[in-house]
Amino acid sequence: DEVHVRQFAAQVDPQEAAEFDRELRALMQESLDSRKLELRARPTLNMMIPMNVFEGPTKDHLGRGIEGESGDETVDEASGGNKDVQVKVLVKRGNKQQTKQMYIPRDCSLVQSTKQKEAAELEE
Amino acid sequence: EETGDDEGFEYGKGDFSVEHACKYCGVTNPACVVRCNVPTCRKWFCNSRGNTSGSHIVNHLVRAKHKEVCLHKDSPLGETILECYNCGCRNVFLLGFISAKTESVVVLLCREPCLSVNALKDMNWDLSQWCPLIDDRCFLQWLVKVPSEQEQLRARQVSAQQINKVEELWKTNPDATLEDLEKPGVDDEPQPVALKYEDAYQYQNVFAPLIKLEADYDKMMKESQSKDNLTVRWDIGLNKKRIAYFVFLKEDNELRLVPGDELRLRYSGDAAHPAWQSVGHVIKLTAQEEVALELRASQGVPVDVVHGFSVDFVWKSTSFDRMQGAMKTFAVDETSVSGYIYHHLLGHEVEVQMVRNTLPRRFGAPGLPELNASQVFAVKSVLQKPISLIQGPPGTGKTVTSAAIVYHMAKQGQGQVLVCAPSNVAVDQLAEKISATGLKVVRLCAKSREAVSSPVEHLTLHYQVRHLDTSEKSELHKLQQLKDEQGELSSSDEKKYKALKRATEREISQSADVICCTCVGAGDPRLANFRFRQVLIDESTQSNEPECLIPLVLGAKQVVLVGDHCQLGPVIMCKKAARAGLAQSLFERLVMLGVKPIRLQVQYRMHPALSEFPSNNFYEGTLQNGVTINERQSSGIDFPWPVPNRPMFFYVQMGQEEISASGTSYLNRTEAANVEKIVTTFLKSGVVPSQIGVITPYEGQRAYIVNYMSRNGSLRQQLYKEIEVASVDSFQGREKDYIILSCVRSNEHQGIGFLNDPRRLNVALTRARYGIVILGNPKVLSKQPLWNGLLTHYKENECLVEGPLNNLKQSMVQFQKPKKIYN
Ligand SMILES: [Zn+2]
Ligand SMILES: [Zn+2]
Ligand SMILES: [Zn+2]
Repeated sequence: DEVHVRQFAAQVDPQEAAEFDRELRALMQESLDSRKLELRARPTLNMMIPMNVFEGPTKDHLGRGIEGESGDETVDEASGGNKDVQVKVLVKRGNKQQTKQMYIPRDCSLVQSTKQKEAAELEE
Repeated sequence: EETGDDEGFEYGKGDFSVEHACKYCGVTNPACVVRCNVPTCRKWFCNSRGNTSGSHIVNHLVRAKHKEVCLHKDSPLGETILECYNCGCRNVFLLGFISAKTESVVVLLCREPCLSVNALKDMNWDLSQWCPLIDDRCFLQWLVKVPSEQEQLRARQVSAQQINKVEELWKTNPDATLEDLEKPGVDDEPQPVALKYEDAYQYQNVFAPLIKLEADYDKMMKESQSKDNLTVRWDIGLNKKRIAYFVFLKEDNELRLVPGDELRLRYSGDAAHPAWQSVGHVIKLTAQEEVALELRASQGVPVDVVHGFSVDFVWKSTSFDRMQGAMKTFAVDETSVSGYIYHHLLGHEVEVQMVRNTLPRRFGAPGLPELNASQVFAVKSVLQKPISLIQGPPGTGKTVTSAAIVYHMAKQGQGQVLVCAPSNVAVDQLAEKISATGLKVVRLCAKSREAVSSPVEHLTLHYQVRHLDTSEKSELHKLQQLKDEQGELSSSDEKKYKALKRATEREISQSADVICCTCVGAGDPRLANFRFRQVLIDESTQSNEPECLIPLVLGAKQVVLVGDHCQLGPVIMCKKAARAGLAQSLFERLVMLGVKPIRLQVQYRMHPALSEFPSNNFYEGTLQNGVTINERQSSGIDFPWPVPNRPMFFYVQMGQEEISASGTSYLNRTEAANVEKIVTTFLKSGVVPSQIGVITPYEGQRAYIVNYMSRNGSLRQQLYKEIEVASVDSFQGREKDYIILSCVRSNEHQGIGFLNDPRRLNVALTRARYGIVILGNPKVLSKQPLWNGLLTHYKENECLVEGPLNNLKQSMVQFQKPKKIYN
């Protein structure tokens, strides 16, 4: 069951890429500027984070990968552990809060800091 | 051959049978696709890069300038609109994840302003680890998966060019597919306009597709201007209707809201409020760029809510429909215009015809200033000809001349005279002047503009209907009062009210000597049964041909077109239609057909030193001064003009131009800083803000100057805020005592863009009454022949200067050789 794999990368026209990059940056900048203009007064914090999200079984940060069965997605045997970390993503549905489990790469800056802090806390 | 064709898919084709398939490539895995959340779009795209530098979804968002997305219901996170957990901002270019405190809980937070809220730091969140949603031109891959290699193999291979083309196509046809790119006709240019036409059908065949193009473009552009997360301030109008105030910033300078525009205000609802929406009309725009929207429905308005509203533009096809209608009438109805006018408009050779009328003994009119010789000549010739053009250079009194013409036409007893212009402002000015002659004037406004305040309110039809004071109208009066109090009437009363109102409108309109309305307004159903033999159109060089035709096909026998083809022409948004010639006015075509415009020759606006260059370069030196140097002396104003009696200078600037934040415009910081210094000097010397106008051709610079002045100006902020800073185009038709022109472009290797158009330069140079200061880079500008001439003129008059404002010195800067001769 072999598949001939075609190469995808390396076909990008550098000029097109530069042009696209410029437009993307412009859009980001414009978005930022328009917010600065719109919200002259700093908004207050309006975040309700239900305390129960912080409880529950997520202490185990070495959760399984989401598609653990296929094998090729999550487990990095060589490093001797999972390369993904389980987190709860907190979203609002209308006025209600809801969490969903997600797996994010271990090297993502989001979890790195969490890990480091936890390590620091442990040392204390 | 290779296997792997497991599910009956063909490689490289994609599967477009599923609704949530990536519109570019056909990937269908729910974990890999997101939906663009812009209401007019709602297309799905995947997070693979394919052959492009950014992923498909990021490509789409950037190309279409869309900014919101929603995840698929079968994706790990479920159907979720990505938004800031704190403020609800949905702009994905601002969003990123952040861990809440130290636990493994993450939320989306916007970069501005929520990430910088101090309270967060106090709460011990590590804000430095904010992780943007879009990284390396791709959505975070753990949130929106990248399709597997298998999936990508099955998908269609799309190039950046194809993406650009299909995005372009979607602007006018949202249902287009990549296959449509191969169809013939998509890239075809429309048939260009001609000088002469066989008949009115051929005329219609050329113009109808151009108007369609422009209408499609206009619709696409306006409907894409939706905005979310608006903060609303509530008020109640005198008519008891709800008014919502909010800031509806334009993303780029293409869309200008005007009073009368229709917007839809929406609230998605919360625990205490059901979802709500209402359509309303813009009744005014405040100086703080706030929009005042009068809502149609006053019931159920969530007036205790201020945040979280959305606004969409409600596009109306009315004006385009009326243009198409006028062309059709022109073609099928033989009585729409006289035979002479018909042939003349189509460019056929016709024998010169004179109108047999007894001429008045004097050509002026009561209530108007005395006419000068060229104005008298204009009035006299116009009255004797079935079709005439009057060219009114800046400040030459074309409104007064037009009013005098209308006065004499009305006195000839050929029925009512129709007076039009493309803009409401021009119609109001004309209506006021004509009314001053003692004629009975009705100013017909679009229904959507009845709530918009007007300087000639007492002349408007809706005002006259309300204030008609006769006994038989008391029934209408009563019903009107009831309607005002209750907001609505019972259906039988409403019927009665409408019938009475229509009859009254008709009666008032019929008894008028003159009807004034915009060109598009002439297609109002309320004028459907009216016939106008005599029609005058002011500012006709600013309307496109079909627009100009609307007032003509109501039976015109005698037509007067007033305008100036040496100033800016009609604004056509669709480049394709503009290239095909829609931007050329009827006035201009008639000039090319050999109709000689009668030129008004005495200008009453500019200091004689200011009119010299425009006269010589745009009007063959024919412009005479109706004002003297003494009348334009700024007495008591202490301003460092390099040459007394020549209130003008070109201020040499060598600062660099930059591309503005939007990426589509330019700005120049040193010029902006010097504009502020000049403004401050004027203000200190006793000039008031309303006397000053700052003109700059670029939106980027306009925004920068406004901001810079209010932040850095040494005087009270409010003073700077009152100063009008605008484009050349929005100053057309108006004047200021002092004009400061910031040219911006300062790049040796590129063109000077906007400033290349001689008509735009003419408008910019002819707005000032007392004085003008031009800021620009002579090295760059002198490459263009007309600018070279302008610079030479300033240099010869010792008005080309540099150095600090309080110590200006003659500049010795070398000009470049102009590229080619301007004709
Ligand atoms: Zn979209
Ligand atoms: Zn795709
Ligand atoms: Zn936010």
